Amino acid sequence: MTRSSEMLHVTVQRGTAQDPRKQRFDVPARENQTVLDVVSWIQQEVDPTLSYRFACRVGMCGSCAMMVNGVPRWTCRTHVSRVAESGQLDIAPLRNLPVIKDLATDMDPFFDKWVAAEGRHHPTRGRLEEFDPIKPDDPNRVEANLGIECINCGICYAACDTVAGNPDYLGPAALQRAWTLLNDSRDADRSGILAAVSGKGGCHNCHSMGSCAQYCPNGLNPMRAIAGLKRETVKAALRWKRDA
Amino acid sequence: MTHLDRHDTDILIIGTGGAGLFAALHAQQSAPAGTRITIAVKGLIGKCGCTRMVQGGYNVALGGGDSVERHFMDTIKGGKWLPNQDMAWKLCEQAVVRIHELENEIGCFFDRNADGTLHQKAFAGQTADRTVHKGDLTGIEIISRLMEQVLARPVEKLQEHRAIGLIPTRDGSALAGVLFIDMRTGGFRLVRAKTVLMATGGGPTMYKYNTPSGDKTMDGLAMALRAGLELRDMEMVQFHPTGLLAGDHTRMTGTVLEEGLRGAGGQLLNGAENRFMFDYDPKGERATRDVVSRAIYAEMRKNNTSVNGGVFISMAHLGPENVRAKFPGMVKRCADSGFDLAGGLVEVVPTAHYFMGGVVVDPDTRTAMEGLYVAGEDAGGAHGSNRLGGNGVANSTVYGGVAGDVMGADIRTMGALRDPCPNALQAEIDRALHPLTRQPAPVHPLRVALQEAMWDDVGVMRTATGMERGLTRVAEISEALMNVGVAGDNLSFNLTWHDWLNLRSLCDVSKAITLAGLARENSRGAHYREDFPDEGDLDASYYTVITQAGCDLNVRRDPVQFTIIRPGETILPENEPETLVAAQ
Repeated sequence: MTRSSEMLHVTVQRGTAQDPRKQRFDVPARENQTVLDVVSWIQQEVDPTLSYRFACRVGMCGSCAMMVNGVPRWTCRTHVSRVAESGQLDIAPLRNLPVIKDLATDMDPFFDKWVAAEGRHHPTRGRLEEFDPIKPDDPNRVEANLGIECINCGICYAACDTVAGNPDYLGPAALQRAWTLLNDSRDADRSGILAAVSGKGGCHNCHSMGSCAQYCPNGLNPMRAIAGLKRETVKAALRWKRDA
Repeated sequence: MTHLDRHDTDILIIGTGGAGLFAALHAQQSAPAGTRITIAVKGLIGKCGCTRMVQGGYNVALGGGDSVERHFMDTIKGGKWLPNQDMAWKLCEQAVVRIHELENEIGCFFDRNADGTLHQKAFAGQTADRTVHKGDLTGIEIISRLMEQVLARPVEKLQEHRAIGLIPTRDGSALAGVLFIDMRTGGFRLVRAKTVLMATGGGPTMYKYNTPSGDKTMDGLAMALRAGLELRDMEMVQFHPTGLLAGDHTRMTGTVLEEGLRGAGGQLLNGAENRFMFDYDPKGERATRDVVSRAIYAEMRKNNTSVNGGVFISMAHLGPENVRAKFPGMVKRCADSGFDLAGGLVEVVPTAHYFMGGVVVDPDTRTAMEGLYVAGEDAGGAHGSNRLGGNGVANSTVYGGVAGDVMGADIRTMGALRDPCPNALQAEIDRALHPLTRQPAPVHPLRVALQEAMWDDVGVMRTATGMERGLTRVAEISEALMNVGVAGDNLSFNLTWHDWLNLRSLCDVSKAITLAGLARENSRGAHYREDFPDEGDLDASYYTVITQAGCDLNVRRDPVQFTIIRPGETILPENEPETLVAAQ
């Protein structure tokens, strides 16, 4: 634990994608201090022009995700003492997304891909019908539940080298959402989902490097979900061939 | 003349919490083909705001002995007879439809019993197992599913657009549009619409300790005040008893440690590590939120406090492994922040959580201003003086949907877009540009000063003397703010400019809260007067209404209309048990 008399030596990426530059700040170390607190202190006390984004403060919205010492993290839930080796912090905008200014990125490409992966429920029932009586130990439901706690923070998307190399790749979060829906017996568009994830930017781009699972703050495993999609898309293609 | 971008639409929705997203979906279903729908939000769609932060769940009567009538009675009694009864009834009745819509159409999956039926639990103040949930992260499931439905639809999206002014027509008879700042560019954008839903969420962040999302600063209610609308129940600020206390310098401070910890047997200890709740209430730690908040506050005033000036919550006697298994999310969150919830002591403090007050609306979400609709935490009336845990997200989703339906129908009879009053428009632009005309100085110290003033003088326990002092302090801070400038050389994503505007909204609404608090000379629900500790005559219940005229705020008391039931009566059938929940 850093003592209160100590200073953190913080490097922050400033500017837009066209002219990024690094700026140094010395920030007093405190006992209970997250990386978001460090960024906020700089804006409130030293440099009112620093831009960043946060909302919930407690790891429920993912708005404050940034690169911290080269690793994508929720800054609101990252205690400085866990990451600031010898008091050094390097903070940059989330990787693989366009920078708006300083530490704030444009998350639209991430969500556009969520939509492109058919990442939404396709209803089989209406509001005037009963609930589907799905038992909690139903195997499909158990599989669907594995990915359900995704908060769409974009950490896995930033961690993924395949996304970095292929801007069309849908990425781990969107594909994991598709896998969850595919296992949800209430969803009406199984074939639409499979079509959406088997195209050019789809699941077969994944090289199973596993950064998504390594860095997910919620301990989810998108790589496993993508492996499931690969199996199902191949099976569907074979079926399609056979029936043709 | 400042540059102004313009955008025209038919239906404009401000906010993307439960109310805003449901309004977008329902407007699309009810409006004629070709209707343009625009949704604008201060942050990112579905990410900012508070619906996402809902832990507990969604109150809805789904049979098994429970009924809409019982839910209604709990809501009225919980609100200490102040709710607008027609709104409370519609909330309870329509929650049944909305929860089915959330599961069946939106794709939420709520926790099940072994037989596949929905699992329901009881929060404090409920007489039935009523709260539908998804673990203790219900809000994430609801908002993520709603968000992806809206993202996939042809709705125009204005993200990181903060609303700064409701612009009426020249004669003031109707709303013409809403002025925004595009926060990414720093430019102004006027959006004209035939109907506008204001669903920005309340969020009492003018208190030293508060739970809401960081973007929440009561902008909606501040705009409503300036537009001359009536606001009701403005004194009603709900404090959650157990906010994390980790020091003034961290944004972690104030965030909620969930209710369930106390329900499961968690103990509150003062600075000397002694239990104290039984000194205040026979239910001990299991007393309702308002009672526990006041007890902790009383201990704090006696200086029986922890290092950072609060009290401790202790779970370890329940077995650290049990605690870890039962509250994995809370334990992990505390651990990430450096605290051992399962085995150690964690400092807590009462924290401003929810705002019951809001714009006066009818049960169709219409306001006194043609073209303006209000739903969710921005609307007053449904909860009265106190909101039951689980009624917040039910309220926002029910009334957001209602607003979408009603706006979709109303635009059929509306003609062309209305022309905005140029003077009102210019006044709002000038107001926002004001700090750029003053010498730059730090904004944050004034925010801290306001939060201290409201916490000390208009907080958990109130007196006339305290609130009068609070009024003076708020006025001084408000005035000081007008002389604090922000450097205007780059307005793109300029958080400090928005901090200034946030504080402007908070000062304006703080004044309204304080005046309404002075006007209520009794203690009901969240509002506790040490100088008027009794609840007063229930039959003569009144609610406060506040309006702004020029620079002045006028407060009056209106009698509660008992349109469905009077105090002392019940609409439950004869011989119905008082509660269906087994005593713990």
